[in-house]
Amino acid sequence: MKWYDRITQIDRRIIYLLLTLFIILPLFIPFKIPQNVMPQTQQLFDFVDSIPPGDEVVLLALDYTPQTAPECHPMAIALLKHCFARKVPVIGVSFDPQGPGLAVEAITSVIREVNENARTREDSVIYGTDCVYLGWKSGRVAALLQMGESVPQVFPVDYYGTPIDSLPLMLRVGNYKDVAIAINIASAAYPDDWIRYPQSRYGVKVGAGLTAVMAPKYYPFVQTGQLSGMMSGMKGAAEYEHLIVKHGYTDDSGTAETGMNSQSMIHILIIVFIVLGNIGYFFSRRGVKQ
Amino acid sequence: MNLTPDPWIWIAAFLTLMIFSFLYKDNPFYKFAEHLFVGVANGYYIALYWHNTLRPNLYDPLSAGNFIYFVPLLLGLMYFTRFIPRIGWLVRIPIGFMIGWGAGISIPAYFQADLLKQLQGTIVTPNSFLNPLEGIWAVIILIGVVCTLIYFYFSKEHTGILKPTARLGIIFIMIGFGASFGYTVMARVSLLIGRIQFLLGPWLGLIE
Repeated sequence: MKWYDRITQIDRRIIYLLLTLFIILPLFIPFKIPQNVMPQTQQLFDFVDSIPPGDEVVLLALDYTPQTAPECHPMAIALLKHCFARKVPVIGVSFDPQGPGLAVEAITSVIREVNENARTREDSVIYGTDCVYLGWKSGRVAALLQMGESVPQVFPVDYYGTPIDSLPLMLRVGNYKDVAIAINIASAAYPDDWIRYPQSRYGVKVGAGLTAVMAPKYYPFVQTGQLSGMMSGMKGAAEYEHLIVKHGYTDDSGTAETGMNSQSMIHILIIVFIVLGNIGYFFSRRGVKQ
Repeated sequence: MNLTPDPWIWIAAFLTLMIFSFLYKDNPFYKFAEHLFVGVANGYYIALYWHNTLRPNLYDPLSAGNFIYFVPLLLGLMYFTRFIPRIGWLVRIPIGFMIGWGAGISIPAYFQADLLKQLQGTIVTPNSFLNPLEGIWAVIILIGVVCTLIYFYFSKEHTGILKPTARLGIIFIMIGFGASFGYTVMARVSLLIGRIQFLLGPWLGLIE
């Protein structure tokens, strides 16, 4: 077998092994590849950063699944840390049936972390006053439309079954008028409905945190201003983590920023494989012609 | 190494390894994990829909004597008439109801958000050049949209001026495919990184 045939027929198991090695090694070798923050992530960060503390709320729609958690979960955690550090109240909702488990995990872990470091009431986050999770609702479109009239009508109780009128935060949130921005962290086309209904019909500012697969579809919505910012995949999450550390809202970089070292190494490996594959293809085609 | 004592993390780790074993070749461990996933997912969905949808939106109101809820119950049950050929036509009633509601709610929203706003975003106006760089991008977007639309215009043969514009359209489409493919690779790798971070972190305790 000629050398060019050999490089086009590398056993896939060798490729898997190399991929695994290129992911594992950067997790053990301490080095940091600098993050170039993309404009749409910066735009979302700047918007959240400009919300007056304690005034309007951030409506966080957590619609991602365990499969896509490595991309979306760090986004949710970074956003929650940012909001809580700025004293911006957060209301969580989910329209994906698989959303609640991860949403509760993200909210409780960030509240616990903030409260462990808090010295006064002002520094801490209290469920019901600073943050509420309303849970999952079926019939997404109808719910999104009805929330424009009345959030308590759609969610009469929160995720834990507590009546909504007994939660201090919910007493001052009637509908979208009290929402500074709705940010949808999603692993499926849920942001479409946030753009079509709350954004187009009620003029709500909408941001998005998306898996990388979905990102190209939503760039035009950022360009038209229908999305007030966007995080794309693990890179978007790493950028947001980088921004909250840079602005002093937290000391810890999250899992996405660590993962991006492996991501960059893998991209180099894939580029090498693509180049090798093309060289092999080019020479083998030339060999056939001769 | 600082192995976790949490049994749930051990179960998750072993199931992850079982699924990864497919990379070598199909095997009973992979099949077991796959079937378990399907079963668990079904159970989860049934419980979730009962507790969050059927019970609060149908069972509880009916139990409280709110008999207007028999209308949605009846519409829902009509879906099952497909299994009885003699009265199978009844399924058209709930389907018609859903299509009517869906079309009424979606069509204006699609026009507003997906068509008109996107069209507006493509149009180049003097304001587009307030920032010269953004102006250049606006012109490129306009050229890209027009050329791509011409590529998909099949009512006339692509000759004359249509030929180079359709060619340019293909280039824009290919760049779009390239971006999508690049993002897809990034997404899939991210998922693998997430799983390996889980195995090395919460399970084996080798990384923080």
